[in-house]
Amino acid sequence: MIAYTIRRLLMLIPVLFGISIFIFLIMKMIPGDVVSTMLGTEATDESRSQLEKQFGLNLPIYQQYYNWISGVLVGDFGVSLRTGKPVLGDILNRFTLTLELTLLSAFLSWIIAIPLGIIAAIKRNTSTDFGVRIISLLGVSVPNFALATLLLLILSVFFSYYPPSSYVSLVEDPVKNLQMMILPSIVLGTAMAGAVMRMTRSTVLEVLRQDFIRTIRAKGASERVVIFNHALKNAMIPILTIIGMQIGVLLGGTVIIEQIFSLPGLGQMVLTAINQRDYPVVQGAVLFIAFVFVMINLIVDLLYSYLDPRITYK
Amino acid sequence: MTKKIKIFSLLLLVVMVMAACSDNNASSDSDSDSDSGGNSKDANQLLKIGNDQEPAGLDPHKVPAHSSIRIYEKVYDSLLTFDENMELQPELAKEWEQPDDTTYIFTLREGVTFHNGDKMTAEDVKYSYERILDEETASIAKSYFDKVESIEVMSPTKIKFNLSETYAPFLSYVASTNAAIVSKKVVEENGDLMQVAVGTGPFKFEEWKPDNYVELSKFEDYYKEGQPKLDGIRYITMKDESARLAAIRTGEVHLTTLSSQSIPLAEKNEDLEVKGYQSTEYSYVGFNVDKEPFNNKKVRQAISLAVNRQEVKDIVWKGDAILSGPIPESMGKWAIDVSDQELYQQDIEKAKKLLAEAGYEDGFETVISTASTYPDMVDTAQLLQQQFEQIGIKADIKQLEWGQYIDTWKSGDHEMLVGRNSSGSDPDRSISFFFSTDGSANVWGFSNDKIDSLSEKGRTTTDTAKRREIYNEAQKKLIETSPNLFLVSPKKFFIVRNNVENYTPSANEPENFNETIIKQ
Repeated sequence: MIAYTIRRLLMLIPVLFGISIFIFLIMKMIPGDVVSTMLGTEATDESRSQLEKQFGLNLPIYQQYYNWISGVLVGDFGVSLRTGKPVLGDILNRFTLTLELTLLSAFLSWIIAIPLGIIAAIKRNTSTDFGVRIISLLGVSVPNFALATLLLLILSVFFSYYPPSSYVSLVEDPVKNLQMMILPSIVLGTAMAGAVMRMTRSTVLEVLRQDFIRTIRAKGASERVVIFNHALKNAMIPILTIIGMQIGVLLGGTVIIEQIFSLPGLGQMVLTAINQRDYPVVQGAVLFIAFVFVMINLIVDLLYSYLDPRITYK
Repeated sequence: MTKKIKIFSLLLLVVMVMAACSDNNASSDSDSDSDSGGNSKDANQLLKIGNDQEPAGLDPHKVPAHSSIRIYEKVYDSLLTFDENMELQPELAKEWEQPDDTTYIFTLREGVTFHNGDKMTAEDVKYSYERILDEETASIAKSYFDKVESIEVMSPTKIKFNLSETYAPFLSYVASTNAAIVSKKVVEENGDLMQVAVGTGPFKFEEWKPDNYVELSKFEDYYKEGQPKLDGIRYITMKDESARLAAIRTGEVHLTTLSSQSIPLAEKNEDLEVKGYQSTEYSYVGFNVDKEPFNNKKVRQAISLAVNRQEVKDIVWKGDAILSGPIPESMGKWAIDVSDQELYQQDIEKAKKLLAEAGYEDGFETVISTASTYPDMVDTAQLLQQQFEQIGIKADIKQLEWGQYIDTWKSGDHEMLVGRNSSGSDPDRSISFFFSTDGSANVWGFSNDKIDSLSEKGRTTTDTAKRREIYNEAQKKLIETSPNLFLVSPKKFFIVRNNVENYTPSANEPENFNETIIKQ
């Protein structure tokens, strides 16, 4: 197990290296550079070349990559071309918000989706089951930006409510922080809940049909023991896979929701940086997100063997 | 078991609804008290503005983005300013004189301090202009002051500018926000001014939380007695229009901007007021006059005759715009009346005739490039596409992301470009910056001796009446030669909660909050 983990961690190196080259080249290939977007139609040739020199954009492209990656290797992600602030500090700051949003949405989705999924499986083909299935279908198919806009509209028009707009962290003011986070979490959690609900229902159903469940029931175990100790635990692997993937996606994919709710998270940071062609920020943030994504996958893989001792890693 | 789940689900729902519908006013108050760092003595006088873009830095000498200007113009002052008729008025300089054509002497207001408590002196003025002129700064205002040969501090309150030649736009540029007076000490301490802002203006910079908000607080020692009335301003970044609309409806922000499509929604709300002003911008179609067929004046004129500007005004701007030439009407005395210009009257037959004379009787195919970032530009392009069809011109529309648009604009790699220009504050900019042969923003490949000589004359003539004649002629010539088709100058709107008093936007200063108060 430990050897496997180490091997997986070592595999991270070529993956991240590949991503670093890829994102660097992509950023160079998209038309419009930081100087153009900064100066807009006010640019003179003089101011352009001066800024290019200041940002090191006049160097050959391999030199620019070398300068950046050699910094990254020693933990220096460079400074933002726009704000002049160190990139890594900013990423970690923004990440706390995005992580909180992700975990809160995931938590909301689990407490809705897993119980409902189980209920639907137990009451298969009843009106409860149909109800749950319709809810989950809605969750999966309503785009979250539409849900977010609708929610804001309804709350503002009918309840005259708008969540506080100036962000405070959980540590500074937990109540206000939660007021800010609850709506976006509900929106993100709903979409996630739909998928998890469907997966829970179908895998629990599948497990319930298996022989060992009949044996357990025959032994006189209560329905609670059957469902929670046996059925759910066996059904957990596919559910965990989908949860892991969704958390990974949420960490990098909360862009639109962060924008609608004016939350200064990692997604907003990347979007603003792409629009402004702030190369070090985009490169650093993408590399960071990739790292987190790979780590989550690793954790999910390791959890498999905890849930199902038959799975071992060598 | 099932019962438990039901109870739990119900509880959860109740908690969520309670959280969502909790009293907003209570939350807003606690928010002002807790996180404004104790700067707002009366939290109720904090004006919250929904800013549609994240500011791109706070250096007044370097950053031309509107999202930044609206913030740093509250923090900094220039030597001069404009009134609502675009006439020069004293600001940090209480008076100025011009002993000869190339010398300007400014007498500074006494007792003006920077936000850090330091006195503002002629040395700071000298330093600010030298910073603009320094190549290292890469200032956008450098080209405004290229004619400045030397700056002499005559006394702590007197400063002299020596120009290398007569340069009529000089004072207008001195009044530009980009010629703000900065503190030498602050620049030296911080390296640059992208993240900090210390000026002499009515509001002090407090905090910038990236992608969230910038907060300013009242400067108690502002040189204008009794101003500002507000305790602070918070610019909250809200890129999403529906979020801005929801926020202004509920009072989470006091003021914001919306696209003309959403204005009717705000007009219906009795708590909101829509305040408009004529902007200094105009929309245009630019031609690459190096490329066929646009190198032929008759083709450009034919296209001008095919355009129905009234439709652009009515459809794209919902009627809230006026016809514009190269200098929009908000520039006051400098603008000419364009409504009777021959090329502004749609005349399809005449347009077809001109096209035939140019050798394109069957029309031609072309591409209109525009920026997808701005819906009005896309709408304009789509409307023009239909209008051009009437004379046989088939145009494809290429929507470009802003960075790509700027690249295309700059490289001259376009055929037709739909965009919006800001006229600046001096007619020199409107004419020579965009259309003289060596103009920085002449990306059209346009070169016309008459325009060049008029630009030169306009720059070296200090008599206002004579200058006006020169620019009148230049405007007519530009309309006649049509390197760009000037369309309309739109109105801009602020949506304001009606408890915000003493605030009237105008072209010279859309956001002057010095007298503004929030009525409880």
